Amino acid sequence: MFDYHHFPVIAVMILFLGAFLVEIFGSKNKTVRNTIALVIAAVSAACIYALIKPVFFDGEVISYWMGNWEPVSGYAIGIGYEVDALNLFFALLTVTTFLLSGIYSVRYMEKDEHLGHYYTLYLMLSGGVLGLVLTGDIFNMFVMIEIMTFAAVALTAFRNRSFGALEGAFKYLVLGSVGSSMTLAGVALLYMSCHTLNMAQLSSILGSQPLNPTTVFAFALMFAGLAVKAFIVPFHTPAADAYMVAPTSVSMMFSGMVNKAGVYGMIRLCFTIFHAMDQSSLQILLAAFGCVTMFVGVTMALAQHDFKRLLAFHSISQIGYVITAVALGTAVGLSGGLFHAMNHTLFKGLLFLTAGAVLKATGTTNLDKLGGLSKKMPKTTICFLIGAFSISGLPPFNGFASKWMVYQAVYAKAVTTGNFFYAVVTIVAVVVSVMTLASFIKVTQACFFGQCPENLKDTKEVPLSMRIPMWILSVLCLVTGIFYNFVYEKLLYPAMVAALNTVKYIDSMMGAGYAGAAGVANHLVDAPRFSVWDPISWLLLFVICLVAVCLVIVLGDRERGKVSDPETKPADGKYATFFSGEHELHSHVAGSDLFWGFKKDFKGYFNVVQGAHDGNVNTYASWVVIATAVIAIFMVIFVK
Amino acid sequence: MIIVNYCVSIILICLGLYAVTMKKDLIKVVIGLGIIDYGVNLFIVSVGFNDGGTAPIFTISELLNGAASSYFVDPVPQALTLTSIVIGACVDAMALSLVVMINRKYHSINADDVRRIRG
Repeated sequence: MFDYHHFPVIAVMILFLGAFLVEIFGSKNKTVRNTIALVIAAVSAACIYALIKPVFFDGEVISYWMGNWEPVSGYAIGIGYEVDALNLFFALLTVTTFLLSGIYSVRYMEKDEHLGHYYTLYLMLSGGVLGLVLTGDIFNMFVMIEIMTFAAVALTAFRNRSFGALEGAFKYLVLGSVGSSMTLAGVALLYMSCHTLNMAQLSSILGSQPLNPTTVFAFALMFAGLAVKAFIVPFHTPAADAYMVAPTSVSMMFSGMVNKAGVYGMIRLCFTIFHAMDQSSLQILLAAFGCVTMFVGVTMALAQHDFKRLLAFHSISQIGYVITAVALGTAVGLSGGLFHAMNHTLFKGLLFLTAGAVLKATGTTNLDKLGGLSKKMPKTTICFLIGAFSISGLPPFNGFASKWMVYQAVYAKAVTTGNFFYAVVTIVAVVVSVMTLASFIKVTQACFFGQCPENLKDTKEVPLSMRIPMWILSVLCLVTGIFYNFVYEKLLYPAMVAALNTVKYIDSMMGAGYAGAAGVANHLVDAPRFSVWDPISWLLLFVICLVAVCLVIVLGDRERGKVSDPETKPADGKYATFFSGEHELHSHVAGSDLFWGFKKDFKGYFNVVQGAHDGNVNTYASWVVIATAVIAIFMVIFVK
Repeated sequence: MIIVNYCVSIILICLGLYAVTMKKDLIKVVIGLGIIDYGVNLFIVSVGFNDGGTAPIFTISELLNGAASSYFVDPVPQALTLTSIVIGACVDAMALSLVVMINRKYHSINADDVRRIRG
């Protein structure tokens, strides 16, 4: 009945239209407001879901020229939207995230004032991200980045009476604005050398000749600008603050779609526009950034005492995995990266929602003040455990499948190139996964198990409409982990091929044969389908190991079980790592400091990293400037 | 001629980055953001400028007479600059309003005092 070629534009436009409708009609009556916001979000999501069949299953690339301004004699003159499987993959993550976040917000935000503005900004943020993901024009992309950033800043400051909200928003605004200015400068430089703003035409011009210093510099600026949006270390500082202080439904949107939009931009930039991912120098640069991001993210997370800030640093760390995998420039790496991006949206969304449930039920996210919530909030606890297992990479949850693909891809890269650097990256990736598990054991212990403090005795489970999004995400975590082959066949493989098949991208936008006439060819050949990883056998191995450990404990010295009772027996040196060698009376394994011994051993490192995050906006801005300068110098010298 | 524009835009961007990274006063940081923006805007306008070009506006009779092929400046960067100026103004307004609220809450607009979230 409807022509689906219009759906991408309708999906974006209706969100912006809805933002105004909410402001006009919804400022008084809350039922009208919630209905408008949710219906608009659902219609937008339906438009995107309707594109799955033509784009993923039939392999079509949808191109749409605004106002029907089609290219004239091979020159793009209008703004174009282009949807291939890569765009649509990220668009699906986006719509799923904002739909679930919207359902969750209804009850989560009910006590706040000025909710009309909240839903306006919510729809603006959704529209900005969706527009960024679907557009085929780099200046339109810049405008969408700006809408996204400033809606995000305003939402960060929404609860402006709570701790740190204004401060987090201001830092986000300053760094985001510097990043946007760099993107704009990059766009201007590209326009200067190519005289077009259309991505497909830029790709065809830049692919037909070697890159010159001007275009490489433009590449570096846009790369750094998008890195600020993807929150890669050292551009990550606003993320840690903003995720912590924003309302939790918004934190979920940040980690589920805002940083994914940055990742999408980087993939599109490196693969499609600049054809540069076959160069080993760029691969090493990206992999180095990814590696540092995962390591710094997870070590900072280990040191946190706030539930949401801890999740924020994990979010940064997981983006490191995605970047590392994408950096390899191989088909396995790209599919692993996309898979991990999708899984990160699912499990980190779930974890943020459980953190929001804890905040709503108890009024705090400070891990030192929480404890024993598993008896009060059993359903939330189960959801949290599913999310924690997924992010730590335990089979059969989805985190295992994607992390396994990432390890495999990095290892294969180390073997094929013989480069020692990738061997180090492989080791770091595995170590980071272990530390992720460690820090989630800490959260589980400090928040859901252990002793329940007196003031939390009458905590109640959160309402049903907040639990529904959590259950949906939990089920998705499990389903994508078990049926990974189906996900790979239907979603990841088309998206990966779309990222590598630049010629098709150019031809569907500019007319058949355009890329061939300009002399553009696909540098990266798409690899055959593969299936070599099997989480079920690993699950069996883990079960066998667990049974073996349990047997040893049961058959061994009975004294073991009694050590954790500090009232009857002082902790001896053997367990000093957990008890910090002290006789603690109220310790449920030292609350949020479970890994005290580990932190003490690496005190030098932790002091330096924590000291570097000094909260000063000047320091953070100078990291951005220095990192951009390093990227620019590196690229101008090494990227050809 | 146009070289001067490029030099000035680079100087403006560097000055703005200096203000953002070095100045402790949050108002000065916001001013720095504005200056970066102006530098970038000047750069974009300069990209499209042709020395001695006319405005890219033609009537039907001029088009029929073939005057459309005459020498004119590129209109696209001007459209980009206009968009960018509007966005920049909104950024400044929002940043300043945040600074006002920070001042109410923290009783200071020194970057060294506004750092309760850290570590």
